[in-house]
Amino acid sequence: MKNAYYITAAALAERGFADLPEELNSAKHMIYSSPATLDYNSPGAKGFGVKRAGLAIPGSVMLLVAPGCCGRNTALLNELGYSERFFYLMLDDTDIVTGRYLKKIPKACAELLEECETPPSAVVICITCVDALLGTDMERVCRSCEDLTGVATIPAYMYALTREKRLPPMALVRKSVYSLLKPQKRVSTACNLLGFFSALEDRCELYDLLRSAGIKTIGEIGRCQTFDEYAALSGANFNLVLNAETRHAAQDMQERLGIPFIELTRLYRLDKIRNQYKLLGQAIGAEFDDAEYYDAASAKITQFREKYGDLHIAVGECLNADSFELALALTEYGFHVPEIYGTVGERNFVFIRRLAAVSPDTRIYSNLSPTMLNYRRETEIDAVIGNDAMYYHKDLPGIGFQEEEQPFGYRGVTLLFEKLDAALTEGE
Amino acid sequence: MSRLLTHLSPLAPDDSGACGVFYELGGITVICDAGGCAGNVCGFDEPRWHEKSSALFSAGLRDMDAILGRDELLIRKLTKITEQIPAAFTAIVGTPVPAVIATDYQALKRMAEKKTGLPCIPVETDGTRGYDFGEMLAYSRIFRTFAAEQLPVRNGKCGVIGATPLNTGLTNADKIVEAVREMGYDEVVCFGLDSGLDEIRRTSECAHLLVISPSGLKAAEYLHEKFGTPFSVGYPVLPEDVTAKAQALSGKRVLIVHQQFAANALRNIITNCDVTCGTWFMHDSRYDSGFTYEFRDENSFREAAAGMDVVIADPMLRRAVPGFKGEWIDFPHYAVSGSAKW
Repeated sequence: MKNAYYITAAALAERGFADLPEELNSAKHMIYSSPATLDYNSPGAKGFGVKRAGLAIPGSVMLLVAPGCCGRNTALLNELGYSERFFYLMLDDTDIVTGRYLKKIPKACAELLEECETPPSAVVICITCVDALLGTDMERVCRSCEDLTGVATIPAYMYALTREKRLPPMALVRKSVYSLLKPQKRVSTACNLLGFFSALEDRCELYDLLRSAGIKTIGEIGRCQTFDEYAALSGANFNLVLNAETRHAAQDMQERLGIPFIELTRLYRLDKIRNQYKLLGQAIGAEFDDAEYYDAASAKITQFREKYGDLHIAVGECLNADSFELALALTEYGFHVPEIYGTVGERNFVFIRRLAAVSPDTRIYSNLSPTMLNYRRETEIDAVIGNDAMYYHKDLPGIGFQEEEQPFGYRGVTLLFEKLDAALTEGE
Repeated sequence: MSRLLTHLSPLAPDDSGACGVFYELGGITVICDAGGCAGNVCGFDEPRWHEKSSALFSAGLRDMDAILGRDELLIRKLTKITEQIPAAFTAIVGTPVPAVIATDYQALKRMAEKKTGLPCIPVETDGTRGYDFGEMLAYSRIFRTFAAEQLPVRNGKCGVIGATPLNTGLTNADKIVEAVREMGYDEVVCFGLDSGLDEIRRTSECAHLLVISPSGLKAAEYLHEKFGTPFSVGYPVLPEDVTAKAQALSGKRVLIVHQQFAANALRNIITNCDVTCGTWFMHDSRYDSGFTYEFRDENSFREAAAGMDVVIADPMLRRAVPGFKGEWIDFPHYAVSGSAKW
């Protein structure tokens, strides 16, 4: 039996992105649905996959049109209070080869509306790989539903088959959830934060910085309790895109609603965060004073390092960070990163090149490689970050760092070390 | 609309059932999907996933693989994995994607066997049927493939077919083994639960087979035909709290809902009540002494429950009968709610 495959940062950087080893390329091997990374293969099961994300519109309900197997794990979302918002039109084998069910969808919408105690703000029709292959024009079906019921109806595409495409399902669903916004007069002191389905952590400095620049209303879909609050998002003067998967939705809002957008990245290196805020300030004509937040994060790192020394920390990918950027940040702060469990992409290869220079022996594993079935710890590790890393190292102190409240900016760095500190203290 | 679920979530599908049978048998099981189906199996329908490792993988199909029918790529990936992980066989489990593109499973089998040198068991599930259909196919094929040799019968050895978590909620065989030993057998093997392929190969040693779910019937009939092994049906592991509550009932109209053999077993211990059984899954009328409901939609379940004083069923089903005023006794079925507390 082969040991778990890994490659060092130095070796990977030398090969370059064009020459990725097969084990790091999920198209070249079977995919291991590791217990560590179930949310990769079944995003509906954890966090915000297409199904839960589609319901980010307040007051909406979802009709999943699919074979039973596609909706099976939705039962997990019942525990989060979604049981009244999910409906299923189950397809049989004749349906999936003939496509005859498409004519039944409007009637199904009408029937589910009769079951709703209060009329929903929208019906989101979620379709799956079957429709990806049949080439279903779901926008047309949605229009038929709307004609019959009078309730806004939009599609959500849970096309696992297109995961590595330019517009993967999680990018498309972001466009869907903002698609019901209508043009209205824009307010110069309002902006939106796009990128996540839940809100940023309450104490994130981004709120203070924007307010210091005269922004009075900061909209986030994760904070919208009513459809009216959601509808007000289209009055924003500009959008801040905090997650690249929202770029397509932001472009659509720019075209339809005339709202321009600025893209930021979630980073864990303090100097890069500072640079990013500086550029943001220039873009919106403000000068941010971020010293207080920078100093607080910097002090927390120093305090942590003095308390625990240069720890060896393994970094996973089931967490609110880019694994490689976070690993690079930890290395620059004086810690060691012996192992990373992550998915190498074109976008994060730049971090791997830098990591290769400062930590060439860092081992890079792919959670999806079947050889991970045989993973055994072979390096010195003191603590871990990420739910997947915690799975591999159940005996070590660690943090999942995958909470719904989204960390960002300096506050994200502070939170990271606060949580690590708590986990290590508990471990002692 | 009969195929519309307004209160319930979908029940365990056929591909989950097939994977559950193969899980501990030492093969490499490939779910022929894009990833979501494998995630549903591993993350929801297979409680052993976090306790016992298994070589269960997703084929990781992408749209062009499906559109162009890249079977060679699938076989290349399968061959590669057999070089990394030792296995006695491979299994290819179907999902809606191969169903839409009409994958030729027999061709895949031939290609896989030629390249890997290992027996390949294709299971043409499509994600639209119940878990028991997938279990039925998997049990039939695994016994047909590996239970070939007639060995001397060991008196006192009983083989149990149908012992999967989806049927019982159990992730190990202890309770079943204990219960069957109490029935008078010295040696008990639960095929595919705490036992591997060797026990499948030595099936003919069993003096008796106990089938605890309708999904095992076809395999038992085959084994009876091939080796003459007698079989019976039953369900020896009813949860104690359920049996205690059920036995305390008197003079009531009672509806029991589970897989057929579990429901029947519970019915058999209830006296002084008018008991009816129902199931959302397979039903074989040869093993029923009375009328049994076969639920196909929420309405049929609602109508059956409406006339009852007591419903004994998985707690998730209660959502489908919001107006039910009678007594509800939880009888968890993993294939329904995905949880069964023991």
